[in-house]
Amino acid sequence: MRNLTRYIITRILLTIPMVLILLSILFVVLRLMPGDPVSSMLGGHAPEKVIEQKKEELGLNRPMVIQYLDYLWQVCRLDFGESMVLKQRVTTAIGEKLPATIELTFFGLVITLFLGVFMGAYAADHRRQTRDSAIRLYGIVVYCIPVYWMGLMLQLIFGIWLDLLPIAGRTGPRVFASLFEKTGFYVLDTILVKDFSALGDVLVHLTLPAFTLGLVLSGIFVRLTRANMLDVLRSDYIIAAEARGIRHRRIVYKHALKNAFIPVLTMMGLQVALLMAGAVLTETTFSWPGMGRLLLERIYLRDYPTIQGTIIVFALIVATVSLIVDIIYAIIDPRIRY
Amino acid sequence: MRFSPAHALAQGLTPFMRMGRKYGLEWWILVFGALIILAIVVMAMFPGFFAPFSPYDQNTGPQLAPPGDPHLMGTDNLQRDVWSRIVYGSQTILRVAVLAAVISSFTGIILGLISGFWGGLLDRTLSLVMDSLYVFPGLILAIAFAAMFGPGVINITLAVAVIYIPTYFRLVRGQTLSIKEELYVEAAKAIGASSSTILWKYIFPNVIATTVVVFTLNVADAIMIEAALTYLGLGLPPSIVDWGMDLAMGKKFLPSGQWWLITFPGAMISLLALGFTMLGEGLAEILNPRLLER
Amino acid sequence: MKISRLFLFCTVVAVLACLPAQSVAKETLVYGTTEKVIDLDPANAYDFHTWEIFYNIYQGLLRYPPGETNLIPGLAESYDISADGKEYTFKLREGLKFTDGTPFDANAVKWSIDRVMTLKGDPSWLVTDFVDHVDVVDIHAVKFVLKNPVAYFPSLVASVPYYPVNPNIYPKDKIIRDPSELKGGKLVGLGPYEVVSFKRDQEIIMDANSNFYGEKPKNDRVVIRYFADATTMRLAIEKGEVDFVFKTLNPSDIKDLEKSDKVQTIKAQGPYIRYLCFVCDSPPFKDKVLRQAVAAAVNRPPLLDKVFLGQNAPLYSMVPMGMWSHIDAFKDAFGDGNITKSKELLASRGYNENNKFEFELWYTPSHYGDTEVDLAAVLKDQLEATGVMKVTVKSAEWATYRDNWKNKVMPTFLLGWYPDYIDPDNYTAAFAGTAGSKGLGIYFSDPEWDAKLLEGQTTPDMGKRTEIYEEIQRMWADEVPTATIFQGTLFLFAKTDIRGILLSPTLQFNYGPIHRAK
Repeated sequence: MRNLTRYIITRILLTIPMVLILLSILFVVLRLMPGDPVSSMLGGHAPEKVIEQKKEELGLNRPMVIQYLDYLWQVCRLDFGESMVLKQRVTTAIGEKLPATIELTFFGLVITLFLGVFMGAYAADHRRQTRDSAIRLYGIVVYCIPVYWMGLMLQLIFGIWLDLLPIAGRTGPRVFASLFEKTGFYVLDTILVKDFSALGDVLVHLTLPAFTLGLVLSGIFVRLTRANMLDVLRSDYIIAAEARGIRHRRIVYKHALKNAFIPVLTMMGLQVALLMAGAVLTETTFSWPGMGRLLLERIYLRDYPTIQGTIIVFALIVATVSLIVDIIYAIIDPRIRY
Repeated sequence: MRFSPAHALAQGLTPFMRMGRKYGLEWWILVFGALIILAIVVMAMFPGFFAPFSPYDQNTGPQLAPPGDPHLMGTDNLQRDVWSRIVYGSQTILRVAVLAAVISSFTGIILGLISGFWGGLLDRTLSLVMDSLYVFPGLILAIAFAAMFGPGVINITLAVAVIYIPTYFRLVRGQTLSIKEELYVEAAKAIGASSSTILWKYIFPNVIATTVVVFTLNVADAIMIEAALTYLGLGLPPSIVDWGMDLAMGKKFLPSGQWWLITFPGAMISLLALGFTMLGEGLAEILNPRLLER
Repeated sequence: MKISRLFLFCTVVAVLACLPAQSVAKETLVYGTTEKVIDLDPANAYDFHTWEIFYNIYQGLLRYPPGETNLIPGLAESYDISADGKEYTFKLREGLKFTDGTPFDANAVKWSIDRVMTLKGDPSWLVTDFVDHVDVVDIHAVKFVLKNPVAYFPSLVASVPYYPVNPNIYPKDKIIRDPSELKGGKLVGLGPYEVVSFKRDQEIIMDANSNFYGEKPKNDRVVIRYFADATTMRLAIEKGEVDFVFKTLNPSDIKDLEKSDKVQTIKAQGPYIRYLCFVCDSPPFKDKVLRQAVAAAVNRPPLLDKVFLGQNAPLYSMVPMGMWSHIDAFKDAFGDGNITKSKELLASRGYNENNKFEFELWYTPSHYGDTEVDLAAVLKDQLEATGVMKVTVKSAEWATYRDNWKNKVMPTFLLGWYPDYIDPDNYTAAFAGTAGSKGLGIYFSDPEWDAKLLEGQTTPDMGKRTEIYEEIQRMWADEVPTATIFQGTLFLFAKTDIRGILLSPTLQFNYGPIHRAK
């Protein structure tokens, strides 16, 4: 047990310098961006004097080192300052948009796992048959399809040609979010307010974006599951189960999958990064009001604090998720230790 | 001996078939991937042969014409021929992706070799930096870099290149570390071989084999990232023909039913990425016999 | 087993989606737009959408009737001008109160103007450049003392920064972004509507204000639904999910909707202009002949066909069509796509096929919509059609773009203009007057022009003013500090049963008269 605690502590401690390095790189990158955010913030008619004054106010004239230290201190307090362009606290802006991204990635992940895991298990079960090859091919092909193109094609087919599903936004035009929003997770909120037609509307709006995200990433999980399943299917207890005469289907989808699934789940830690990246592109295509869109909008406006805040939040999420997943993996698999 | 084309073809194909029988699906995946790449590279090298119009010509035909004769893939709202833009666009994406991969690999391999070989504080710091970058979503980092550098071919190439350096670094460093312990390297040290000799004669060649696979997959990824950046409007000035940008421009015609503006550029991006992925996957299976036990 | 569960789930979702929405008792109109609200504060709002909202939830001392451009009394019944033209005394309507009971009187007006001047928000120059101070004459009369006599002051008073706000709920010392920052959390004004709820970038719900002194709205509730992109909005109006949409649809969407019989099209000439700016005090465009050459080569009708599918109108002068004194100055001087003249002018400076005139043309990719890329591409094509010009197209995002024009990085660049107040002065002085021109990166300066512009500003006689501005436009086509391209057309699409929509060149859009035909 001592070993495990040591591992956890070491792992947590390691996360700190990693996050620090990311923050530092970020700091440098943002300061080097062309374009003066202050003059864009103040509007067309602002005289030089006012611009200088504003720069002073925002601390942009202080030496870089001081700005850097101040920046680090701010991050520790999770205080990302105020948006330079829209007079809003960055944390407020992020707080508004983060639930949308989390909701999207959550459902995307559900679909990915659903598709990927089952297809992977199926392929492992029918090893070396055409079905197996087809599914393995699917795994390779689907990853090469750009998320946003997949989104556009699905929009074209289901949204425009067949007119079955909505192609953008989280709610329809006549469903007013301000009437039910509480946590920002609309699926949850509509259930809490017992507005079930709004729930239906929200779910229907989630369908295409979550599916787009889920589909493209499922390829990875297909291969992961398949590889793990192949190992598991060869192990002794599976052979023993077969010998005992348990139905083959049950063996594969209940016993074997459960064991193969755990390493797959832990692999998810690495996939969070891909999920975030995919979310950014999906949000742009489906006009989903999440962090990804926020990031892009603010890049155009040269809104340093918000850009910084958003990327930091992404970094923190990725770091935290991979930390948690690594720890879970360590708990499960005694072989992994420092 | 009589010489007939059929005979020659059969002769030529035999080694292919032999490999196919030996390696199964992987081999055919590799071949297929290589063919796709070859086709698109040829298209990129001789665009004039394939494209009937200039990609900038704003008078090739009616506005927003659907695919048909003479416009294989239709025209866009500025009356430019979509197929011609696809042909010329292949140059851009190949150029950026391959160059970025080359820069990435070069930097990553060298840093990995040095770090793995010399160890110490340099190794620890470098590893930490690289690990931090590696976990972070590449696209978001690329977006930040692209926004910082501004639009331009060189800039976007650099933005894409930076993301992959950690991948090569980790791979090469790991390999360097394990090869360093090998008996023959110890022996070389014993007979007084200099560090640089060991590095270049013993370690480097062994590292290269695996890097080739990573390189191919890297190009596939770089293609996706380049297209994503230009789709988001961050990468290139509009005077350069690019598939991702055409996709973004065509998006607004979706509800008007002009599907050809987005279908073809997107399909090409997928195809090219697929080509490199298939090549890489195929190579991985073949170069690494351990993995064949599937 | 898993498949059947999935199927069940899908059925449940489908059923839920088909449930009827919560019943809406009031007559609610849903208005879709892709615009954004920045700050819900008259002291800082400087975009047309936020101003439009204010036209409906607030009132000015003077106002424009829906759909018209002549000023009529608003919160003020009448006004007097002093002999020297520097003092305007407004007589306010009596007995008006804000919804929370605060009386509306001269103190409220003075307080509001002082607030705008103190806070120095973006549009504050519309007050501070003209008004020296405000005096309370008595409880229902307020006097504006101007710095200089300005003939168009009444039209300034009708603009949003002059709107009186409730001194009891607005903080004197800071700009508020949304109603939650106000004391009491509700945005109460003196207009026909009051804000019930506001969720940034999603929706704003406004109910008819029962305390409004004027004509009551014909509907009970207006909800503005914010769309993130034009495509979704187009689909929404096509499917009848919203009642009307305004600003800004893609040209291809406008074309399809115009043809559709499921929606009615309401068009009006907008006051929005687009033009090319030149840096007039540095090479190459320091030479007016070169500016003229570029202006001559621009071929507006085919450009508008390609980029906007013919939906905007070619513009031949900075003073827009529909405004008094407008003349087609550029058309008279150059025509469209006058390649011969352009080549001639360039030849006079030694440029020919072997020695092309090379320069950079800049644009900004998202600020004016995503048609801008195409606009620049077509312009390049047209200019190069002379065979004697070589144009490199470059772009910069808005923040960098503004930086660039201050630093003279862009020799010629595309720009647009929405008027602050309805007067030819707003379309001319800002670009060619020495002070204004510098601020917009044009750096044009000519004392003769400055004198003429000042004359136009201060002359009270309309006839004389018209002459002056016509003269200025003719001078414009000669000196070409900017070359105009097109004037925007406003498109609004509504369901076929909607009535009462009136668009105005003042961009004032009143929700009050809109209703559903029975």
